[in-house]
Amino acid sequence: MKKGLLIKGGFIVGLALLSILAAYPLKDKLNLGLDLQGGIHLVLKVETQDAVRAETDKDMEVLRREIADAGVSSVATSKIDDLSFDVTGVPIEQDAVLNKAANDYLTSQRWDWRREGSKTTFKMTSLNERNVRNLAVEQAKLTIDNRVNQYGVAEPVIARQGLEGDRIVVQLPGVDDPERVKRLIKSTAFLEFRLTEYPKNGGGGVATRDEILANYGGSLPADVEILSQDQKDDQGRSLGLRYYAVQKRRVITGRDLKSANTSAGQFNQPVVAFHLSADGAKMFGEATGANVGRGLAIILDNRVVSAPVINSRITDSGIIEGNFTQQEVQDLVTTLRSGALPAGITYLEDRTVGPSLGQDSIESSTKAGMLSMICVVLTMVVIYRGSGVNALIGLALNVVLLFGALSYFHATLTLPGIAGIVLSIAMAVDANVLIFERIKEEMKVGKTVRAAIDAGFSNALSSIMDANITTLIAALFLFQFGTGPIRGFAVTLSIGILGTLFCAIFVSRFLFDLVYTPTRKSQSISI
Amino acid sequence: MDFLRNTNIDFMKYRKFWIGFSIAVMVIGAVAVFFLGQLNMGIDFAGGTQLTLKLADEPEIQQLREVLSRAGLKESQIQRFGKPGENEILIRTPIVEGSEEGAAAQILDALGQHYNKADANADLNQIGTGSIAQLLVAANPDGVAGEPETVAAHYTAVAESVMAVRKEKALFRSWDEVAAVPGLTAKAFASLKSAASIGKFSPLATENVGPQVGSELRRRGFLAVVGALLGMLVYIWIRFELRFGIGATMASLHDVLITLGLYAFMGYEFNLTTIAAFLTLIGYSVNDTVVTFDRVRENMNKHRGRNLMKVLNDSLNQMLSRTLLTGGTAVLASLMLFLFGGDVIHGFSFIMLCGIIIGTYSSIYIASPFALLWEQWFGSVGKDQKSQTKSAPRTTPTRAR
Repeated sequence: MKKGLLIKGGFIVGLALLSILAAYPLKDKLNLGLDLQGGIHLVLKVETQDAVRAETDKDMEVLRREIADAGVSSVATSKIDDLSFDVTGVPIEQDAVLNKAANDYLTSQRWDWRREGSKTTFKMTSLNERNVRNLAVEQAKLTIDNRVNQYGVAEPVIARQGLEGDRIVVQLPGVDDPERVKRLIKSTAFLEFRLTEYPKNGGGGVATRDEILANYGGSLPADVEILSQDQKDDQGRSLGLRYYAVQKRRVITGRDLKSANTSAGQFNQPVVAFHLSADGAKMFGEATGANVGRGLAIILDNRVVSAPVINSRITDSGIIEGNFTQQEVQDLVTTLRSGALPAGITYLEDRTVGPSLGQDSIESSTKAGMLSMICVVLTMVVIYRGSGVNALIGLALNVVLLFGALSYFHATLTLPGIAGIVLSIAMAVDANVLIFERIKEEMKVGKTVRAAIDAGFSNALSSIMDANITTLIAALFLFQFGTGPIRGFAVTLSIGILGTLFCAIFVSRFLFDLVYTPTRKSQSISI
Repeated sequence: MDFLRNTNIDFMKYRKFWIGFSIAVMVIGAVAVFFLGQLNMGIDFAGGTQLTLKLADEPEIQQLREVLSRAGLKESQIQRFGKPGENEILIRTPIVEGSEEGAAAQILDALGQHYNKADANADLNQIGTGSIAQLLVAANPDGVAGEPETVAAHYTAVAESVMAVRKEKALFRSWDEVAAVPGLTAKAFASLKSAASIGKFSPLATENVGPQVGSELRRRGFLAVVGALLGMLVYIWIRFELRFGIGATMASLHDVLITLGLYAFMGYEFNLTTIAAFLTLIGYSVNDTVVTFDRVRENMNKHRGRNLMKVLNDSLNQMLSRTLLTGGTAVLASLMLFLFGGDVIHGFSFIMLCGIIIGTYSSIYIASPFALLWEQWFGSVGKDQKSQTKSAPRTTPTRAR
């Protein structure tokens, strides 16, 4: 018996020491939730349709060029929707050229095509579509990861929500510049170069949409759209919008960029200098060579940044001018370097907590927690005297184990989680109350102290188990369906329940056994 | 210390009165919540944007309403937040039609126009460490020489110390407060003063929930509550008998509905944390009931043949001291949370406080009577359980009436 007690005691002390080791110093080991330490929680959706559209545009353009290069100069393409396009102008006897180009450049897995009369319709296969979408999300994740790292955030979480699907969860603890970081992540930095249609030479755009519409007799051609440009003075104040009609077809996009750097323009204003990949340089050279004198709109995230005139053929490098501040150029380079996002991003959910609110929450909840604890302690000691102290040792150990487990499993402590701790302490008392009341009852029936303790524990056991398992069920459902802080709450509650069971059943029993040994003649118990 | 020993209260005597009373309160609460739409749905479920702001001066709510209304945000609600004198307000705007991203930027813009007269300089009360450091690096007032990294590191440290002071104060009210920042040289201060401004407010928290996530959170919250209730029903069904499962589930439903009614009446915001609070409450309430039922089961086995009502009454009396003690400590703990836990978890602690009091009442006056009622209505049809067949015939309507 004595040896058994020794082993049990050693086990309990060992566990407590391990917990302290895991949790000390608490300030560094405890993983505070965003609601406590401040930071950003974002759920964003990758607009994979953008990626699909870009893929279609690109393949269509490649195919057209290859067929034209193979000698069928009458070839033309027209887009049907984001997933399909028509190729026309290829005489039936030259169908082989079309098929060869398609087979060479659009592998058969990616596109299906069928000739009907004078046109051949290309349709993206569903396998390819799925791949493109999936790749877009993966790429977006990588890109965001890059940007966040370049910005410098400690312990960011960037993960896809679910295995499939188009959502990414981003958590950035401790970030105190939320607006800037959100802009940085979100700026797709989707850079496009497109030819302007009206004014033909760019020419600084026009003041109203209507002017452009009037030029086209009220309705735009299918392959042209109107985009706007923010005009700012040198103080950064807005001067309103300018409008351009630009082709929907892209000459090149950010994907064709090889590198980007900050640089100074002709008036020493901040600009972005870029180099193109070999492929991009070829396409860019072709388009600029054929369109000298036209305007070339540089479009970032669907906004015209500038629309300079093409003075001569440009191949592999250039600069992007706009009304940029130094910081804007810096952020633009960061985003362009980290890889443009393959598709647009929409923030579906966005929770930002500033550092001072979190600080307040920690202070007030810690204070409330302490006071709760004192209330519980006083109640237990007043009602149960010596046994109350037994319960308190259990409670203290419970708290130590809880923080040990939280630290060890890198669980996140959230504000509701602190409330969860307070509640689980208050409820942990229940187990002790059940046992003590039972011991009292057994004593009333005339049992000796030892026998009463034995009976008390064994009879109360099933109640304690039932009661705590039901709470555990609630916690599991919370964990399953909850998000963020609520999950943190479910975790602390669950750990608290397990700790309660251990302390009330095992530790409290050990303490009784230690004090009221079978050899002791004691006939009274402080309860 | 003995506490409520050997009581012999006939709890079951007025069971019809208590059940009737409770049902009445439940119905009133439910009607108020579900049909009159009294529940103050937070942005977690309704979607929308919520900003918590600290202002330099006493907020003039009416004026702010007009400012937001002029910015096209007519439906914004503005209310005070935190302790009086802290000048904190909460602005809530419903979902902007056709947008997932909400109106936070619009609100901040409108307030900036109103309070700061659209000062183009960066606002020290809104930017963070990175941007402050960048302002200083650009000017390099301390004349740090060497690699760009060395310069950046120097000013990042300075910026961090500026932010540490802002974190303490929540916002800078004057340049004097900035000048007092430890580690900020006079030159650096001068350069900050020329490159930045001090706005009249600082956002403490910004939250936006788009319609997609909002509807998803609604669904998940609903599933969590229903799942937890069903899970417990099944557990008790397996561990005890169906009638006890029903009794316990009815009791927790009772607690939830009445607390929800009170919660709606108090006008607290219904959000994700509320769901967590209610699930905890369900756990507590069932816990409380199960402990009593455990004793009922024990007594039924001990005194086979005794009628169920007597067994229930005895068990309730035997467990009375435990029920009140546990309930008492839990109430005390939640009272402390409620009084001192701060505004963010006010709703949470309110639910726990009321819920535990109601839950303690219901485990005495609701759960057991419901088990008994179930027995009377369905007991003879109840197909199995030896203990049930023994006690069932005795709890005939004649005795019950």
